[in-house]
Amino acid sequence: MKKIAIIGNGVGGLITSSKLAKDLAKEIKSGEVSIMLFDKKTEQEFQPGNLDVAFRGTDPSKMRRPVEKLVYDGVKIIHDNCEKVDLPNRYLKTEGNDEKIDFDYIIISTGSSPDYDQIPGLRDANMDFHTNAYTSSLIYQKILKIKSGRIVVGIGGLPYKCPPSPNESAFMLDEHFRKAGIRDKVEITYITPFTRIYSADSINEVIEPIYKARSIESITAFNTDSVDATKKEITSLEGETIKYDYLFLTPPHKPADFLKNSGFSDEDGWVKTDKRNLHITDYDYGFAIGDTTNIPISKAGVEAHLEGIVVANNIISEIQGTGKRYKFTGRTQCSMETGFHKATFVVGTYDTPVQKIPPSTFNYMEKKVMEKIYWESLHGQYEWLFKYHFKKDYFED
Amino acid sequence: MRTMNVDSRGTACPGPITDLIRAYKKAENGDIIVLIANDPGAVPDSKAWCEQTKNVFVGSKDMEDYFEITIQVAGKRL
Repeated sequence: MKKIAIIGNGVGGLITSSKLAKDLAKEIKSGEVSIMLFDKKTEQEFQPGNLDVAFRGTDPSKMRRPVEKLVYDGVKIIHDNCEKVDLPNRYLKTEGNDEKIDFDYIIISTGSSPDYDQIPGLRDANMDFHTNAYTSSLIYQKILKIKSGRIVVGIGGLPYKCPPSPNESAFMLDEHFRKAGIRDKVEITYITPFTRIYSADSINEVIEPIYKARSIESITAFNTDSVDATKKEITSLEGETIKYDYLFLTPPHKPADFLKNSGFSDEDGWVKTDKRNLHITDYDYGFAIGDTTNIPISKAGVEAHLEGIVVANNIISEIQGTGKRYKFTGRTQCSMETGFHKATFVVGTYDTPVQKIPPSTFNYMEKKVMEKIYWESLHGQYEWLFKYHFKKDYFED
Repeated sequence: MRTMNVDSRGTACPGPITDLIRAYKKAENGDIIVLIANDPGAVPDSKAWCEQTKNVFVGSKDMEDYFEITIQVAGKRL
């Protein structure tokens, strides 16, 4: 029997497990293949929806679903977190358990989470709209009470997931206060460690004029070092300080703790992954997808999705002996809402630079369509739509 | 004083500048960061970043397959 272990039941883990279970249904039924999905989490969250919860008051329960309902038939859910992966000897251990669980293939998809320890004071001062739907919901209640003052939004540190989200927070706050009729009483300042408002020049050209038109101030090359919640002051590594009344920073992110010093991760714990075949270092039976890799592209759900399909296809091909091999093209497609029902997209691959896409209502509608089909896509549905949309970037053979 | 080597080859914007900033966070004044990248945008981006953060852009070399960018950390508060 071929044992496939998937660590993490986020976007990547769920889509990969669904694709494998769907295409290997016959082998699973006959006992030739088993799929194990490890994660303590019992709920999956549509994280891009946290923006709508925090800045528009959308019901947070709409952004969550029980994992049990999203898992494809034939996938065995194990509600334990992984503590150790021994790649050379092909076994893993779960937290607090000495039992060695063997595998033939392993896919690490443990995502990333906020690393507040990197920036002293940030945790207490920050209104984190980025991480959890219920926390985002509480933030909306606080926003409703803001009548004047200086709001600071932006990138708290690197790396972080969902690259457009700090800009989206600026645009959505601007929209909120304009609609409330008090925009002139609220100052919005965007800070970033990059030298432009958006790191990719083509997108910067799209959004910089919107910042000017909406009177959103920007401070570039600001490397946040610490936050003093009492003085309401942010200090940069260079010693510059910024005063705020309300702080909405996207925190830096870190990988799962067990990956640090794993032998196959970099010094910060991101898994060393081949950007095309997604192998973990030289192991052709070990794969990493999504935020957890050290691949230098966006940490975003779309990457986990497309990488998961490539990995699943390669495992299916090997088990079924078709001899086909697939590669990841580095395709990214992150929507960026610019407020008032308009959005742009950050679209590129390893070989094609990020395109300049003007904001439009059509783009916004495309973003909303993704929200509608998100849960079913985790369950392996709409593959035809993604194939049509991404064309050769869905997977390259 | 130490030298930190950062290999960003194979990454496009914002990969090299992200790697540079992450190394900078761990560095101290006086340290040298040698960034190698094959994205041509890495050179002007690093130069602009040094100007804005008051670090020293020592120089860049075109090594045919990649660019070698040398930066001295000088902008951190004491």
